[in-house]
Amino acid sequence: MNQKELQHLYWRAGFGTHPKQQKTNTNDRKRVVDTLFKNSKAITSISLDLSYLEGISAIDLKNNPKLTKELSDKGKKKILDYNYAWIHRLINPKELLRERMTLFWTNHFVCRNKNILFVQQYNNTLRTNALGDFRTFVKAISKEPAMLHYLNAKQNRKHKPNENFARELMELFTLGEGQYSENDIKECARAFTGYNHDFKGNFRLRRKQHDYEQKTFFGITGNFDGDAIIDIILESKQCALFISDKIYRYFVNPQPNKKHIESMSDVFFKDYNIENLMRFVFMSDWFYDEENMGSKIKSPIEFLVGIANTVPVKFEREKDFLKIQKLLGQTLLDPPNVAGWKGNKAWIDANTIMVRLKLPSLLLNNAMISLKEDGDFNDNFKKKFFKRNKGKLPFKTLPDWDKFLTNFKSVKTENLQDVIIQGNINKGTLAYLETLNKKSKQDYCIQLMSLPEYQMC
Amino acid sequence: MDRRKFIKKSALASSLFFVPNFVKAFESVAKERLGYKRLVIIQLAGGNDGLNTIIPHNNDIYFNARPRLAITKDIIKLNDDLGFHPSLAPLRSLFDNGELSIINNVGYPNPVRSHFRSMDIWQTASSSDEYLQSGWLGRYLDTHGDKPYNAIETDETLSLALKGEHFNGIATNDYRVLYNTSKDPYFKNVLNHYNDTHLSEHNLGYLYQTMIEAKSSANYIYENTKVKLSQEDYPQNHFARQLKTVAQFINSGLDTKVFYTSLGGFDTHVNQENKQSRLLSHYAESVSAFVKDLKRNEIFEDTLILTFSEFGRRVKQNAANGTDHGTANNVFVIGKNLKRAGFYNDLASLSDLDENGDLKYSIDFRSVYATILSQWMDVSAEEIIPTKQKILEFI
Repeated sequence: MNQKELQHLYWRAGFGTHPKQQKTNTNDRKRVVDTLFKNSKAITSISLDLSYLEGISAIDLKNNPKLTKELSDKGKKKILDYNYAWIHRLINPKELLRERMTLFWTNHFVCRNKNILFVQQYNNTLRTNALGDFRTFVKAISKEPAMLHYLNAKQNRKHKPNENFARELMELFTLGEGQYSENDIKECARAFTGYNHDFKGNFRLRRKQHDYEQKTFFGITGNFDGDAIIDIILESKQCALFISDKIYRYFVNPQPNKKHIESMSDVFFKDYNIENLMRFVFMSDWFYDEENMGSKIKSPIEFLVGIANTVPVKFEREKDFLKIQKLLGQTLLDPPNVAGWKGNKAWIDANTIMVRLKLPSLLLNNAMISLKEDGDFNDNFKKKFFKRNKGKLPFKTLPDWDKFLTNFKSVKTENLQDVIIQGNINKGTLAYLETLNKKSKQDYCIQLMSLPEYQMC
Repeated sequence: MDRRKFIKKSALASSLFFVPNFVKAFESVAKERLGYKRLVIIQLAGGNDGLNTIIPHNNDIYFNARPRLAITKDIIKLNDDLGFHPSLAPLRSLFDNGELSIINNVGYPNPVRSHFRSMDIWQTASSSDEYLQSGWLGRYLDTHGDKPYNAIETDETLSLALKGEHFNGIATNDYRVLYNTSKDPYFKNVLNHYNDTHLSEHNLGYLYQTMIEAKSSANYIYENTKVKLSQEDYPQNHFARQLKTVAQFINSGLDTKVFYTSLGGFDTHVNQENKQSRLLSHYAESVSAFVKDLKRNEIFEDTLILTFSEFGRRVKQNAANGTDHGTANNVFVIGKNLKRAGFYNDLASLSDLDENGDLKYSIDFRSVYATILSQWMDVSAEEIIPTKQKILEFI
């Protein structure tokens, strides 16, 4: 594997890399990919201290509206804490690929909840199953309290079915639009009736609300429960194809390639093992095709975590994380709706592009993007600039440029664009970059990060 | 996608691809008239309690359902049945002049009582079992807009309502900051060198194109906004500041069809009385100042103001002197030449409620949108509102 290929792999399976990290890698693709999987074998949950919830029961809440309000306020704060903890995790992952996959599944099994206990459990369920068996995964998701709430499963009762979950299970989670009839949805909803959970978040089937009658689903008749329905859905190759297509667009290229996606679905359909599918993708020659490199617009989280991977930066106020996510249009744990974030071009509009272009300099260099001119003018300009901006910066951060210089020591400043920018650079822009004086590696890094090209990975 | 298709698909294709020469040209392009009618949206976020806003002052069911929360004093009676909350006094003259139409019981089938989801439904104009990823005003921009500033939201981030399939409005809570960011000399240098001969780089081309748009929009707004035109006294609160900015934009004749503003805090589960009273004052005083401002600049007759909330609240109050999430609610339409001013329709029955004890809707919110699109913005609602809607008679 050459440097470009390694960078490509690490941008897709992780959030970028730096030369020092790469040095320890071999050039053998199989060994690099194996290591990636081996390092993600373990599962490290993100768990907050929620001991304040211990000993509280549903009845306490019913009898004490004041306590309910208190817990709900505290819960809101805890959900923000979880958001911050997750971002810290993404910047310093224990299991890189697992975290990357978890982020992917978050935008597949999209869910949102106000109860921190359920949010945390759901998030860790995604993490646990991220590289596992898709069948087990879907079944686990169908029983998660956060999902039961989100798609009204709790209102889904015998003789009074609510079709919300049944519809999204097929449309968004497994098969894609138009792959089933309205009648299939009705029958599917019946199989999931009575799905519920207890106060602590354990799944409970309410037998009295479950419809034990015969159902006819996809032409098969039987006394199906939810798990049986999921098994029937997965018998359709369309499911393997649908998931492969989504993985391809996310991990390989937003422009689908039918041939490659079909070869992925052949692999996936065999056993619905996610790890095998991902290994197949990362081992395929086509994954490293020129047209796939730098073809994707970074999501706000990829963008933010990527910056921090290149220049380690400490955020003095955690709420700045929230502000950045909001400005860029992606707040973890707060998706727009069950269809999730649209991704790619949809991240970029007139508002977000300006924030993105300015953010690296704001976080790492007191908002300053240096210019070509050196000498007095530049120093003066800098002085004036910092004076004008003093106390006005929206974020409080401490960038660690020394660490950056160590990590990027092996790269000459004039070659820095090859490791900072993932895809092609516009010809005119490249000509402009050539005119920059590149006396400072730090300044040049900021200049590169302030380009439209840096939005791609 | 080949080059031709790509250009055709891009809403900005006609003028945007020829950089850097174009950067200058863009700003001097003759204003493409979108028509001069403007729409201002005011979103009351959190679910405003409609029954304590427009009060059924002659209805025992109302008083019985809200023993401690019903408004009993200083109701501004507008007819034998309905009256304003005292805080809405500044809107009295609009009502009397026939410049306010109140549409009761606006909602949608199978209502959702989650803020989040219901706001989503209102912003995308979807049904309650359907998920759309673009907003209704965004889709309006898709077909009828050509610059991001054709729709402006006075906030830091853009609401889904203004996001189209391929075209978005612009959000800014301070257009001067946006301008200062965009004029960073480094960006200027980059754009001056940018060379757009290789459209094969789809995503990269799109990024540059959006960067140019953003810069031009920031410039356009900054250079064309004349602050002096709005000298009306506005109250001192964040919402009033939003409306003041909108008035500056409108009075300056910006080429903007849609303005989006928001006032939050209406989720009054606990001790509703003072909270709602204060918020409604902010609302009414600010709107009153805004209308005066537009009138002084003789532009009120070209402006329509729509106020909505994602849902109303339960008829029965709760134990904490608040109200819980409900369904149908009233919508205010403010404008000069309304076809049917005053009360557009009667309040729904307070005894014939749904299974949760909430009002049943009688007017679909999407027919309000469709009416505004076809009767005010003068465009076909068909591509923008996914389901066929009845056109109402208020404008």
